[in-house]
Amino acid sequence: MSEATPSEPTPEPGLPRITNIFYERIGGALVPLAATALAFLIGGLVVLITGHNPLTAYRAIFNGTGFNWFFPWVTGDERRIAAKDLQETLRVTTPLILTALAVAFAFRAGLFNIGGQGQYWVGFMAALFVGTHLHSLPRPLHVIVGLGAGIVGGMLWGGIAGFLRATSGAHEVITTIMLNWIAIFGGQYLYELGGPLQGTNASLPRSDVIDASAKLWVWWGTFPGLHVGIFIAVAALVVYTLILNRTTLGFGIRAVGFNPDAAAYSGIPVRRNYFLALAIAGGFAGIAGAIDVLGFKYSIDTSDFGSGIAFTGIAVALLGRNKPVGIFFAALLFAGLQVGTSSRNLDPAIFPPELATDLSTMIQALVIFFVAADVLIIYIWRLRRHLKVGRPLKEEPAKT
Amino acid sequence: MIDRARTPRSVGIAGIALGIFAFWVTVPPFTTRFFGIPVVLGLAALGLGAAALVQGERRLGSFALGFGFIGMLGGLWAQGVDEATLKDVLTAGLLASTLRFATPLAFAAMGGIFSERSGVVNIGLEGMMLTGAFFAVWGSIWSGSWVVGLLMAMVFGALLALIHAFFSIHLRADQIVSGFAVNFLALGVTGYLFSDLYSSGIETNDVSRVPTLSLDFLDDIPGIGAFLHDVFGGLSLLVWLMFLAVGLTYVVLFRTPLGLRIRSVGEHPRAADTVGISVYAIRYLAVTTSGVLAALGGAFLSIGFVGTFSENMTSGRGFIALAAVIFGKWRPGLAFLATLLFGFGFALAIPLQREAGISENLVSTFPYILTLVAVAGLIGRSIPPAADGRPYVKQ
Amino acid sequence: MSSAPTVLELKGITKRFPGVVANDSVDFDLRRGEVHALLGENGAGKSTLMNVLYGLYQPDEGEISVHGKPVSIRSPKDAIDLGIGMVHQHFMLIPVMTVAENIVLATEPKKAGVLLDYEAAVKRAEDIARTFNFSINPRARVQNIGVGQQQRVEILKALYRGADILILDEPTAVLTPQETRELFGILRSLTNEGMSVIFITHKLNEVLEIADRITVLRRGKMIETFSREGATQETLARSMVGREVLLRVEKTPAQPGEKVLEVRDLKVLDDRQLEAVKGVSFDVCAGEIVGLAGVDGNGQSELVDALTGLRKPVDGKVIVSGKDVTGQGARASFDAGEGHIPEDRHRRGLVLDFTLAENIALHDYRKAPDSKFGWLFPGRLTERAKRLIKEFDVRGGGPQTHAEALSGGNQQKVVIAREVGRNPNALVAAQPTRGLDVGAIEFVHQRLVAERDEGKAVLLVSLELDEILSLSDRILVIYEGRIVGEYGSEATDEQLGIAMTGGAGEEAA
Repeated sequence: MSEATPSEPTPEPGLPRITNIFYERIGGALVPLAATALAFLIGGLVVLITGHNPLTAYRAIFNGTGFNWFFPWVTGDERRIAAKDLQETLRVTTPLILTALAVAFAFRAGLFNIGGQGQYWVGFMAALFVGTHLHSLPRPLHVIVGLGAGIVGGMLWGGIAGFLRATSGAHEVITTIMLNWIAIFGGQYLYELGGPLQGTNASLPRSDVIDASAKLWVWWGTFPGLHVGIFIAVAALVVYTLILNRTTLGFGIRAVGFNPDAAAYSGIPVRRNYFLALAIAGGFAGIAGAIDVLGFKYSIDTSDFGSGIAFTGIAVALLGRNKPVGIFFAALLFAGLQVGTSSRNLDPAIFPPELATDLSTMIQALVIFFVAADVLIIYIWRLRRHLKVGRPLKEEPAKT
Repeated sequence: MIDRARTPRSVGIAGIALGIFAFWVTVPPFTTRFFGIPVVLGLAALGLGAAALVQGERRLGSFALGFGFIGMLGGLWAQGVDEATLKDVLTAGLLASTLRFATPLAFAAMGGIFSERSGVVNIGLEGMMLTGAFFAVWGSIWSGSWVVGLLMAMVFGALLALIHAFFSIHLRADQIVSGFAVNFLALGVTGYLFSDLYSSGIETNDVSRVPTLSLDFLDDIPGIGAFLHDVFGGLSLLVWLMFLAVGLTYVVLFRTPLGLRIRSVGEHPRAADTVGISVYAIRYLAVTTSGVLAALGGAFLSIGFVGTFSENMTSGRGFIALAAVIFGKWRPGLAFLATLLFGFGFALAIPLQREAGISENLVSTFPYILTLVAVAGLIGRSIPPAADGRPYVKQ
Repeated sequence: MSSAPTVLELKGITKRFPGVVANDSVDFDLRRGEVHALLGENGAGKSTLMNVLYGLYQPDEGEISVHGKPVSIRSPKDAIDLGIGMVHQHFMLIPVMTVAENIVLATEPKKAGVLLDYEAAVKRAEDIARTFNFSINPRARVQNIGVGQQQRVEILKALYRGADILILDEPTAVLTPQETRELFGILRSLTNEGMSVIFITHKLNEVLEIADRITVLRRGKMIETFSREGATQETLARSMVGREVLLRVEKTPAQPGEKVLEVRDLKVLDDRQLEAVKGVSFDVCAGEIVGLAGVDGNGQSELVDALTGLRKPVDGKVIVSGKDVTGQGARASFDAGEGHIPEDRHRRGLVLDFTLAENIALHDYRKAPDSKFGWLFPGRLTERAKRLIKEFDVRGGGPQTHAEALSGGNQQKVVIAREVGRNPNALVAAQPTRGLDVGAIEFVHQRLVAERDEGKAVLLVSLELDEILSLSDRILVIYEGRIVGEYGSEATDEQLGIAMTGGAGEEAA
């Protein structure tokens, strides 16, 4: 009993290390599922309070996701629309999976990468540059070079934060946020009127369109349709799992993430692993940007920089508990939420889409809260079932 | 021993001074036009910075490197610009503008200090600022009075902070993740309400703004009066409240029993508990205070400055404030100086763009780069409160 | 003495934790003016009982009465109000604050209604120190004063709050023999003033020196209360452990071979950049156990770090099997044939969220056969783990069990299995039995002797003199970063004790 208590985690300068609270505390999908249910419930309450009907709103959102394509009784025109919606949902799922991996991978090293957004944009712009400036490449090569440029760009941006963390201890939460804004404003500068990478039309603040040889193949539907990026994302899930569990690199990163002192004691270079983890994480976000630009965006306008896809990726990673299967389904969920609430798919008469977008942000926030506070969910679960789940709550005062 | 400890320090300080000098000689009244002078001064500053670094003086050494580099580049740039433009960029107005940009940062930084000194990391400052910014506008429009606007900002900032407090204190959620969720929640809630309530946009005329204090008597002070008037004569009441908040933060934390207790809870909560201090109560109080202060910072952005609200209008300022907290070693005075530095970065962007024709987007990156450099150069040496970020488990 | 009134009585205290009964219907009473020792092994439930008394835990059953009145103590504040003060094993002091601030915390003097009156706080601290004849500097920061001084501040803190019942939890663990004597002097003068003291310890000799009565706890149960006159080390030990204890480990005389670990003029800085190891030289030969004795904080941790590549020495050399590994990092040390049992298995020794297989592979996962070209073969990790788990009798899980799920003793076995399983030439064991129960301690001791007999060079760093004396073939004493004496295995407690406090400085030089 008075067995020396486990030493508390040592504080890092600035901010604490992120703890591995999401791991293995209780097994299974209970917490993510319950967190999602609770978040939608509270979101529904907000809708209700502000004078709308949550049930019809949610149904309208669902029908906008295209998931009804899977229902065999949906036919005819409805099915065609559903297919189009589903293509869009999967198109959004792709970068969500990849930016979630950018969070999850860093997380396994004990780092919280909030910089997916900046890494995404740098990857995006790198691939865009390849697509618009390297003209004489044949198709498969042009695509591959473009994707490669995206990975390198993302790795560079993530690597800066990793380098700073490794050499000066600067906390990645602050550095990655700053790098996000630098990427966004820097990107706007590049393509603004008179900017160095502005396209041939001098009156528009946007880039040129990439060469046809750099575009990803569309395999379902007509443009924009669904491009092959979704397969790259699924492959990335496999790569993520393999790197972590089947390579020495992943072993080192996990050791550093779980216990940097033990890793250092064993001679595992902690700083180098911090750098590598953030650089590789950046690579995942970078290829997300590359896939988006080569897959269906094809060019960029300075007004595009407002999108916050990688922030949703953080929610995806947290909800998916950094596990490949979890990330896949969480990405589908949030992609559906985003597509279902877009102004194209949601009937303003049922629920105003501009509200729905913010509603989905709120739901994401609530999901993060509830996943983070798994103690709360386990507690609610216990009250409901009046039985114990898993092992006893850690260090919970034994009051009754 | 004493000599060895002092020398690298003075080398570093000399480097910083030379770096500033490299820029200074190129602007009025000196306006040196020979390119060698800023280069030589800047290089000398870099050399001294490197020397200080080698001798183990990391903090001042990296400062000197930064100042040397910026001073040299700034000096070379200034030499390429005509004197009239320079005068337009570098005015007393720039200092006033620095204060205005520093104000929201300083409010939030003081909030961050309260929270972190009690042992709760608060990266939700950003969201609390945003909440303050929105509800200040909402209260101000609804009541027609900026006073109500400020009160609403404080109330809702406190409520959001309470959520963070509940999750990170009682539920012992990871404080960084909880803070991140706070930011997300604030973004969603303010966006939702903004779209719902003001779908046609906000008429700035409907917003009752925090008044500006005209201190015309400053002009009458002989000599520096005009300068003082230009800097301090036309500041928002909230800027003055910010000065008050910085002073109060210092007094409360370091000169009152409550401050002693807050700091004890942040350093060694078990020790505080064993003498009968309620760790949870103190942490709730401190986190709530941080929400109130951050919300005031946000309110300044909306009803103190632009007179309207736009989605995600804080754009990372909460994180810059957090960087200022760390940069300032969790001390109110130093953190305030850090917010002045970052505020200067923001303030410089406007005249640079207007007068020197540099891209607005490009200069907008400046405060973020500045923060990045500051954090990278120095944070590794700052020691946070010992229990910062650790949930406290009552036995 | 028996006529003195009872100031405190605990009756039938039971405290359960998930899976453990920490206190099982324990009775305990304290009389005015006595020192009543609470004796027991690690895990016997002493600290739990005192935490119940101090309001940190709520008992599941039982009654507490103070001065004859039944009371309910729900928080430390209640305990303080009842005149109970506690000096915790890990001091409840805030290092960055001054002595005066620590003493007045939560009952601060004020001026102008709201402001902290620091000068008054200093004066109050001086007053209370003078009353009890302590010498302290109220303006000093706690982090800058010595451990003995810090303990005095803790006692003053309790006295300042009006305590007449003082609980001291393992107060001598961090003290030198000299400081321990001073502490005992303080305790005697306090009891003469009418204070009552509960003294928690597992050290038999101290109990017999200071206590008036001794209550023994074993596995959460109260076993017996002795008066000092009727107790001997042997009776107490039997009562505490429940059987006869082995005082010495059975071993044959050492047959030292060639030098394996050579340390030359080593100088190492601590975290505050002060010189913690000030020029240390020694050798450890194959087939011997060299014990490094010393009071905590005399440079042992820094020395061990430097020996194992975790800290770069500023000067000197570390040579393992003829190979210079000075400042080359931990990997170089391990590769040169060094094994390292770290002093804190939770912080360093294990990755608690890793499986046993992964923990055992921690040093060698980058090499064949564990991996090839960066590709890991988990099956091979599991195989080796299975073998070592069997060989080292690790109970409570298999290769895929997370280290977190094991008991402390079995966790330590995993660490030892990893270090010894790599077949090192030199083994650095830093406090290898800290926090373990008797059975696990015996296992560790036997294993270390077995390693010696196989011709390994073993350096044992320990704060427990008994452990050093029973295992070592040669004993070095470290004091303030210097080796101040070298003794054979026949050295006595007293000899070492004097050396550990700097008393043998000239003699050894």
